Amino acid sequence: MAPNLSRLLNALGLVAVDTVLVLAFVDQLWFRDLPCPLCILQRAGFVAAGFGLALNLILGPRPSHYGVMILGAVAGAVVSVRQILLHIVPGSGSYGNAILDLHLYSWALIAFSLIIIGSAIMLLFDRQFAATERDRLKVLPVSAVVLFVSLVVANVVSTLAICGVGLCPETPGGYLIFNDNLSLTLLGQPL
Amino acid sequence: MMSLPFVLFACGLGAAWTSRRVAALGFWVAGVLMLLVLFRMHATDVLNIAL
Repeated sequence: MAPNLSRLLNALGLVAVDTVLVLAFVDQLWFRDLPCPLCILQRAGFVAAGFGLALNLILGPRPSHYGVMILGAVAGAVVSVRQILLHIVPGSGSYGNAILDLHLYSWALIAFSLIIIGSAIMLLFDRQFAATERDRLKVLPVSAVVLFVSLVVANVVSTLAICGVGLCPETPGGYLIFNDNLSLTLLGQPL
Repeated sequence: MMSLPFVLFACGLGAAWTSRRVAALGFWVAGVLMLLVLFRMHATDVLNIAL
């Protein structure tokens, strides 16, 4: 596989991870489906896996970057499996909205599995790792990386808004940052 | 605290953008470890399954 094709596939992979993170925000903001602690950790798993794709695009493809993807996806998959097992017994309830009959944590496990399989397939092609002069990044890779960084920063803000500076409540009832217990809403009130 | 993995990954991406690969990988390792620690702190319920 030529380095240019490898770069294109990595860019498309990062666009796919960006799409997952954007859809998570659509579900949170449009459908008012607040993420639970495990949901937030699965988002972090997608970021950990996407990190390898970003490294491939910014610094050039390396086997270790695919290792980063695989290990990040495994970490996210562990969280997904835990959440699936919490609700696997019929009648034990579920968390959040279902899309096409599967809950988001089930979709997340499928996505993590695809990332692991995709990384393993990419590792089969050695020519992409040949030392060559790297071209400047084109529009698609740069856009994918910039969107990815923006989504990581957005997750910092969103998680702070939902959980504050401590651990998240198991079932978030709203944005903690707007609650009086963080005292932020009191700042604008007269003493 | 829950936002720490994202903060570490963001720092790692910044390091990668400035071509500091080792620092980027260090931030990534710290982010994944933080993710696993937070997972351990949140996975407290006993699962109602028989394996």
